[in-house]
Amino acid sequence: MAYLVAQLLNGLVYGMLLFLMAAGLSLIFGLMNVVSLAHGSFFMLGAFFGLTIFQLTNNFWAAFFLAPLPVVLIGMAMERVFLRPLYRRGHMDQVLLTFGFLFVFFDLVQAVWGRTVRTLPAPEALRGNTEIGAGVFSSYRLFLIALGFAIAVLLWQLLERSRIGAMVRAGVDDSAMAAGLGVNIPALFSAVFGAGVALAALGGVAAGPVLGLYPGMDAEILIPAFIVIVIGGMGSLRGAFAGSLLIGVADTFGKAYLPSMALFLIYLVMALVLLARPQGLFGIAHTHTASAPTFALSADHPRQTRLIGLILLAAMMVFPFLVSSYPRDLLAEIYIFAILAMSLDLILGFTGLMSLGHAGFFGLGAYAVAILTTHAGASAWLGLAGGVLLAAVAAAVIGFFCVRTAGITFLMLTLAFGQLIFSAALKWRDITGGSDGLAIAQKPSLFGGDLANSLTMYFLALACFLSCYWGLRRLLNAPLGHVFVGIRENEARMMAIGYPTRRYKLLSFVIAGGLAGFSGGLYAIFNSFISPDAVYWTASGDILIMVILGGAGTLIGPVIGSGLFLLMKNVVSTYSDHWMLIIGVVFICCVMFFPGGIWGSVRQITLPKALKWRFA
Amino acid sequence: MTLLRIENLYRAFGNLVVTNNVNLAIEPGERHAIIGPNGAGKTSLVNQIGGQLAPSGGRIWLKGNDITGWPPDRVSRAGVARTFQRNNLFHNLGVLENLRLAVGARRGRSLDFFTPVRRLSLLTARAGELMRQVELRQDGTAPARNLSYGEQRQLELGIALAGEPDLLLLDEPTSGMSPAETARVIELIAALPRALTILMIEHDMNVVFSVADRITVLHYGEVVASGPAAEIRASDRVREVYLGMMH
Repeated sequence: MAYLVAQLLNGLVYGMLLFLMAAGLSLIFGLMNVVSLAHGSFFMLGAFFGLTIFQLTNNFWAAFFLAPLPVVLIGMAMERVFLRPLYRRGHMDQVLLTFGFLFVFFDLVQAVWGRTVRTLPAPEALRGNTEIGAGVFSSYRLFLIALGFAIAVLLWQLLERSRIGAMVRAGVDDSAMAAGLGVNIPALFSAVFGAGVALAALGGVAAGPVLGLYPGMDAEILIPAFIVIVIGGMGSLRGAFAGSLLIGVADTFGKAYLPSMALFLIYLVMALVLLARPQGLFGIAHTHTASAPTFALSADHPRQTRLIGLILLAAMMVFPFLVSSYPRDLLAEIYIFAILAMSLDLILGFTGLMSLGHAGFFGLGAYAVAILTTHAGASAWLGLAGGVLLAAVAAAVIGFFCVRTAGITFLMLTLAFGQLIFSAALKWRDITGGSDGLAIAQKPSLFGGDLANSLTMYFLALACFLSCYWGLRRLLNAPLGHVFVGIRENEARMMAIGYPTRRYKLLSFVIAGGLAGFSGGLYAIFNSFISPDAVYWTASGDILIMVILGGAGTLIGPVIGSGLFLLMKNVVSTYSDHWMLIIGVVFICCVMFFPGGIWGSVRQITLPKALKWRFA
Repeated sequence: MTLLRIENLYRAFGNLVVTNNVNLAIEPGERHAIIGPNGAGKTSLVNQIGGQLAPSGGRIWLKGNDITGWPPDRVSRAGVARTFQRNNLFHNLGVLENLRLAVGARRGRSLDFFTPVRRLSLLTARAGELMRQVELRQDGTAPARNLSYGEQRQLELGIALAGEPDLLLLDEPTSGMSPAETARVIELIAALPRALTILMIEHDMNVVFSVADRITVLHYGEVVASGPAAEIRASDRVREVYLGMMH
């Protein structure tokens, strides 16, 4: 009994921390239609600023009250300088921007505070235990629960009773109308964004004594907070509160009583809620016009690029004979990731659905090869085929839930399912090797050629890449590809002219998942090793960056993007530790100034106007 | 057999009743206009027929099949095409591509992932035919957003016709058009095959009386009058409710 109550208490504590995150996320979304992927970073920044203030003053309460201030300044500066100029573009561009900041903040925190786990001690007055009835409870945890409830009541009163609250509610309901009635919408956006950041930062300091401080704590809290607002309903404070308690308690009880299944429990809760109420428990079922990011549009290959293509092809054939194995291997890796990036572009750039869980399918393909060769002694080729199948089936199941939603909900759902696959890779140690990963003992042979030979591997990767490129080009020029583009451009009209769009979106998702699995299987053969790192959600983010950087909505863009990304990663990381900072800044600049990506911008310069709009 | 039968259709948004026990029967080949002041519930009615809006009560029958609550794509495949009051095109795609997508929904091989669309000559030929039918005289490569407003309305009509519907729903086909453009659209509609059944919402009385043989007047979601065009034109009750409100 005492154990049960203690678990309930822990669940409430976790729920309250989630609420501090989810409340801000949900309000910002409700008002601005933007989900800030950097919201976890503010949580982390709050905790680390708290640590520094504590070290200077040796006073927890100074840290508790002062730490949110610098974080709010950073958050509001980000909103004012970077997000605001993008309001006129689609909301997805702003989401992408916050994603760039996630990298920047992560790197800065690592640089300033180091990579080790730090602790922030609880205030002295709350270090002991409190007895209530027969139970003995940690005073600090009781304080956290009280704090969460107090803030919930305060927020609720503020929204319902105050003038600012009325303006926020009006803005959430219809920001254009509210602006017409004299509400200063930009100022309101800044204020709400700042308030959301303050709550996250406060949550970070408050969590310090319970969770520990380390770079990476941002994602640990961000993803469950996403699940909370998907379950509770986007833009609803009540939903954020109820969802936080539900997930906090469910997760804690799962870890206590069903440790092997705990990770799946919250995803199960989410899937069930979404099946019954796609808009979440307290969400209103209104169709947010979540427009796709600004993309370049697909165009046919004019003759001059065909010639360039032939030259490139010749170069790809000759190049490996001229260089040592290091650049050759790097190029082979680029081909493999180009397949992955193109597959993401099929759903992102051509069907208009932004997925942040694509590395999951890559991982399924890679693990299929590793597991079948290690545990079953099967051939890697069988593993590759099995991996494609597994990834496609998983994409069908996951897609079944995801394609019911659109825009930001789709993004958060794919992110959550991607993390589910990551969790499986991490926790099923017996099969996957857990965080140690799995090594593939023996490389298979290809028509008598040994794939341990870097040249053979190079040509395998090249052949696979070219086949995928050619196949996808056929698909995109065929009626099916045109249907995908039609859905990206105007899904409502596609339905009105008779296309069952949900089925087509699912098909696109399954093809992309299968291709990602193929790329993952190749990678496992190439690298002889796979670990959960390759499946983590930042790996999905890397693919997203490749696609956006190179030019989404084109087929060449993702290839350029993956090449540039891997080149930069390999070159920069030999000179500097700040790889993430650099890629984050490059990405932010790309979203702000080159919304079509590299290829989109290049094409706009060189192609005559008549060709630019010719449909693929 | 009656093509479209609406029985006791009811829809409310909270306390606002936009469709209040509407009954309507449309025979094959009929040209039926729905008129009524702003806010009478005309577009809501069309949205319920097209599947964009689910009714709260009542039934909609198409060719004897109960289509109440069907999603838009299924209604469309059952033979109902529509235009929208505000242009609802594939703005970034070419004019020809707009029409090809619409033709492909009915006749195409939309699951074909291998044959280049430009080699599907039947598809392109039919799309070109539709361009001529709605009098769009371009080469078809310009994106829809570069068309003039009137041309966009014509394309809107072309997309609806591409589905070879039994029933064509037109939601204010001439809204926002100049008198010259309006005259052109009247000609386009008049030139449609007589067998095609049309249900149109329209504010312009010239258009209504030159196209429609029957007229239904909606007011606050209710049918005030319904009958042959001449009868409605003569009705004092209609003048009082409708014309009286407009002037």
